[in-house]
Amino acid sequence: MEIYLPIAEMSVHWLILLGMGAAVGFLSGMLGVGGGFLLTPLLIFYGIPSEVAVATTASHLTASSMSGAIAQWRRKAVDFKMAGVMLAGGLVGSWLGVFLSGLLRAAGQSEIAVSAGYVILLGTVGGLMLNESVRTLLAARAGRSSAPRHQRQYAWVRSLPGKIRFRQSRLYISVIPPILLGVLVGFLSAILGVGGGFVIVPAMIYILRMPTNVVMGTSLVQIVFVTATTTILHAADNYTVDIVLAAILILGGALGAQFGVRMATRLRGEQLRLMLAVLVLAVGLRLLWGLVATPDDLYSLAIGGS
Amino acid sequence: MRIALLAAILCLAATAAGAEDLVSGLSQDQVEITSNYTGTDIVVFGAIESSDNTLSTTGRDVVVVVRGPNANMIVRRKVRIAGIWINRDSMRFGGLPTYYFVSSTRPLSAITSTQMLQRYQIGLAAIEPQSMSTHVPAKAEPYRLAAIQERANAGLYAEKTNVEFLSYSLFRVRVPIPATVPRGEYTAEVYLFRDGNVVSAETTPLDVEQSGFERRIYRFAHRSPLVYGLAAVFMAMLFGWLSSLIVRQQV
Repeated sequence: MEIYLPIAEMSVHWLILLGMGAAVGFLSGMLGVGGGFLLTPLLIFYGIPSEVAVATTASHLTASSMSGAIAQWRRKAVDFKMAGVMLAGGLVGSWLGVFLSGLLRAAGQSEIAVSAGYVILLGTVGGLMLNESVRTLLAARAGRSSAPRHQRQYAWVRSLPGKIRFRQSRLYISVIPPILLGVLVGFLSAILGVGGGFVIVPAMIYILRMPTNVVMGTSLVQIVFVTATTTILHAADNYTVDIVLAAILILGGALGAQFGVRMATRLRGEQLRLMLAVLVLAVGLRLLWGLVATPDDLYSLAIGGS
Repeated sequence: MRIALLAAILCLAATAAGAEDLVSGLSQDQVEITSNYTGTDIVVFGAIESSDNTLSTTGRDVVVVVRGPNANMIVRRKVRIAGIWINRDSMRFGGLPTYYFVSSTRPLSAITSTQMLQRYQIGLAAIEPQSMSTHVPAKAEPYRLAAIQERANAGLYAEKTNVEFLSYSLFRVRVPIPATVPRGEYTAEVYLFRDGNVVSAETTPLDVEQSGFERRIYRFAHRSPLVYGLAAVFMAMLFGWLSSLIVRQQV
């Protein structure tokens, strides 16, 4: 049951990879996240070189976000104007990220930078999510409602120049915050192989104050194009996209997501969020351990260079 | 190549003296890495032709060396900085073999001198890079040893004593070609030692190639990377679209 991956240049058990894709697809279908933050570390733990894992996960995310984006588009829950503005930033961020990951690879710091980036990202996001979901659960137990307080935009967001109207989102705001958000997400996708949904969705709700019904669809459309760009740039600059690996993961992910979506209807939202928070923190801790534990072998070998 | 030439001259000299000569071959002259490749063994076999069959087998040794294509390698050393292990010091080696397998009838140190082993680059201890990023050999030494150890752990460097004699003159060696071997031109060198001196040697090329589908993909990715990237994205979008159709039918 082994298959040879032409770009990663190694033999793998394709059923294990299909299972990984399915497990991540299941969780992402259930929890409503892209799952890149789980898939990339899983591939690295399995032994796929980190730069191949990052680049290939980007193409997996294109596929999984695509099916979500189409579903949202049918419900007319996409603000294409907003997605376009964020994408403009996303392309710049993606290019910066691909450029930086090439530099890191040449300096031999790729593995460490990817791990450290994940530890920071997952630690922050997981901590915030855990904090929020524990509070919600406690509030529910005490019988209080925890509906989000609706607020007006932050003063600094309102004071920025270059305002345009986003009809679908019923917003009249500066283009600067969405562009910066796009840059951040594009950068994360290129350097860490995450779609960035778990960064962008809260930011769209709490910073841009977009109505929640269009947030999901708009972020998915944006993620489709940013991860597609990242895939192309990684393939062109670093030759690190493994199309065979991508096909296996995408297939597994599509299968898993079907079950995940069905499972989600049986669980409560707060429970799902708590599970997601614990999962995010667990992956972050495992990666942190890899950075601080004394390695078995202090030396490492890389082929290539001049 | 220089070694092979030197060996050929030695070999000619030996036959002229009417002593022993060597013929050798490979079970296959090409290894193809296909999609279900999990590693294979090739067999290096040979015979010792001798004008005088009464020559003793003691003091007679066969050494087989299989070398992969050379590559540049960087060895890095991790240092703990603020609690985190970070690659800091590094050493660049130019032209180290990516694969190296040596097998002999007896342990190499019992066959011949260290100088002899170094001259022919026989044995893991004798593997030397063609160039390195320092002029101080002592500084490079721990890195060279670490590189050899890393390759050995990955199953790509090995030193064994599994040359089997099937008769007075016939011998064979199994050479493992694991799934992780790099592609390229390999060579299989067979040396015949008599009392610590090389009396005959032969070199046979071996081709390790990706074949079929894998090879086409690898070429595609490296020759037209932009089109390859677009193809990967097209595939991903197609899959995404298809799975959204399936979801819609079920709902």
